[in-house]
Amino acid sequence: MSSPPSARDDDAPDLVCQIDCVQGMVDALSSVRWKRHQDALMELSLHGIVLTVEESGCLQAKVFLKRELFVEYDYAGDGRQRFGLSLGLLVDCLNTFSAPGQAATVEIRYPGPDMQLLLKSVGSPDSCLYAEIRTRIPDTISWDCHFEHDGNTPVTFTAKSAVLKETVDDLEWPGSSIQIRMQPDPPTVIFKGEGHGDLQIELPYYANTDLLIVFQCDREVSYRYKYKFLRATTSNIPTSAVKENRRTKVTIGRGGMLKIQHLVSLARPGMPYFRNIGGGTEQTSRIAHIEFFVKPEEDDNDS
Amino acid sequence: MKFKAFFTDDGISLLDKRFLPAMDKVGRVCHVFLTPTHAMLLHNLLGATAAGPDGGGPQCVAQFAKDLIFREYNLSSRNGNQIAFSVEVALLHRALRSVLAVHAQPPAAGDAPGAPAIQVRLVNKLPAGSRSAMPFLTFETKGARAAVVQDVPISRPLSRSDVERLQAALDAAKDLPQTLVQVPDLPQLQSLVDRLKNVGDLLTVAVTQYGDLHLQVSTSLVTVGSEFRKLRVIGDRANAPVGDQNLTASTRMDMAVERGEALSVQANMKHLVKSLHCHLAKPDCTFYGIAPGGACLTVVFQYFIPGTRLADKSISFYCRLPVLDTGSS
Repeated sequence: MSSPPSARDDDAPDLVCQIDCVQGMVDALSSVRWKRHQDALMELSLHGIVLTVEESGCLQAKVFLKRELFVEYDYAGDGRQRFGLSLGLLVDCLNTFSAPGQAATVEIRYPGPDMQLLLKSVGSPDSCLYAEIRTRIPDTISWDCHFEHDGNTPVTFTAKSAVLKETVDDLEWPGSSIQIRMQPDPPTVIFKGEGHGDLQIELPYYANTDLLIVFQCDREVSYRYKYKFLRATTSNIPTSAVKENRRTKVTIGRGGMLKIQHLVSLARPGMPYFRNIGGGTEQTSRIAHIEFFVKPEEDDNDS
Repeated sequence: MKFKAFFTDDGISLLDKRFLPAMDKVGRVCHVFLTPTHAMLLHNLLGATAAGPDGGGPQCVAQFAKDLIFREYNLSSRNGNQIAFSVEVALLHRALRSVLAVHAQPPAAGDAPGAPAIQVRLVNKLPAGSRSAMPFLTFETKGARAAVVQDVPISRPLSRSDVERLQAALDAAKDLPQTLVQVPDLPQLQSLVDRLKNVGDLLTVAVTQYGDLHLQVSTSLVTVGSEFRKLRVIGDRANAPVGDQNLTASTRMDMAVERGEALSVQANMKHLVKSLHCHLAKPDCTFYGIAPGGACLTVVFQYFIPGTRLADKSISFYCRLPVLDTGSS
């Protein structure tokens, strides 16, 4: 194994950034981890870090960690830097840094001498934790979702993340494929599973304001999605998002492409303010955006 | 072969609150080794070679001066007055707790003050439904309203040759590493190792003569490590090199090994996790060191005489972890 060189090499790394809430980053990345071994594409730019994972051309997820979430963020690369790595390893490594009771700040660097992603705890001179994660030349993501709204008004609803998660969890019993139908009159979202039995879950907009917070739909749309993909979008919503009553936005685009957006807080508990690189001080703005795209099943379309 | 003694209050509470929970986590069955001067609980001593523990698991030795645990200690055997047998730790602990519970019953009015003592004996009994007598460790005590006898099944006492092997393994294990570093916070180390174990099974441990402890897990895809610096050193020491602040932790360690100021070994992550359970025995200090030549990784736990900062010589507690490679030393 090649040992890392002793001193800093001459050419400075493209990215040096520091994050003071590792647990939030672990939460955000874990929410797109639906299986143990998952390859991810990491994209670095001036604006922040984007991590993309996908499965069988039907499910894609992105985690947006914008630069404002970091305590320090120096990007010196040209344009966008892309590399592949194992999501599971990244999460396991970051987890090592987030020991309870330790408010460690973690420095992230790329590339290392051997093109690794380097993590290092900073702040304590007498103890240090570090990780070097091997990266790969990126696979080209086989499909990039061109999400477009179908028609003039987007067909969308917003629900509490916990409600959506519970709904999808309940649909496990019929399993296989799930129909999502949105209808304007009466304004309702209907999840219907047909497999080992039928199960229909209705979320009526007017019945309970707690259920659907926003509802926008001018015509009836209905598409079917594989249950395992739907489940991947909600199964790992971090408990922090549920506790903080975060909302999830669901949009159905052209051709039935489903977009699901979660918000995950990267605020440090017990610390109302923090200093980020933009000089911002509000913890509430420290949100990572998570997006899932799910392709509908092909044998079914608008009813 | 005879063994009969009474527990001291300190002794039984040491076993109940500290050592039996720790020994139970290290392994299900342990050896009890009684000599005219000491009582010991041992894990994985037999089967080990003189050079170090075998790959079966970490060796763990908890040795007590007989007077710390027992009074009226009567021990005799044809084998130099030594007795050794194996016992299931959980059963032993359950029996102890049961006699302690009865023992703790408050005396009724009019009773003589001072609770009766807890007695332990080695007996041969005919268990129900069996034709041959089996050996048991029997605990007996009286409370205010009840008396209890607990029989804990044990193995047949070890043969003379096995006892000799046990003693030889103990003697071989007595060699301390030349340099020991004190780990300040064992629970913190345990939480770190709990997280590291998701990364890989093989752990590189290095100890320098100037008080650095370095743990590293490395696979083909990832390297994760942790470095603790400026720890207290016991034994051979060296001055820390100046100007290595800006080097990476693994480079610092490689250079220390090259200079002969550090030893590095590879140990099984599972063994380390097991040995860390020893913190259930609530030691006052914990030291890590590597035996000469990288023969094994040694963890030494130290106890203070209550109310002082002086080492209690009547308790000796240590683990030796088998190493998978003699390292780069």
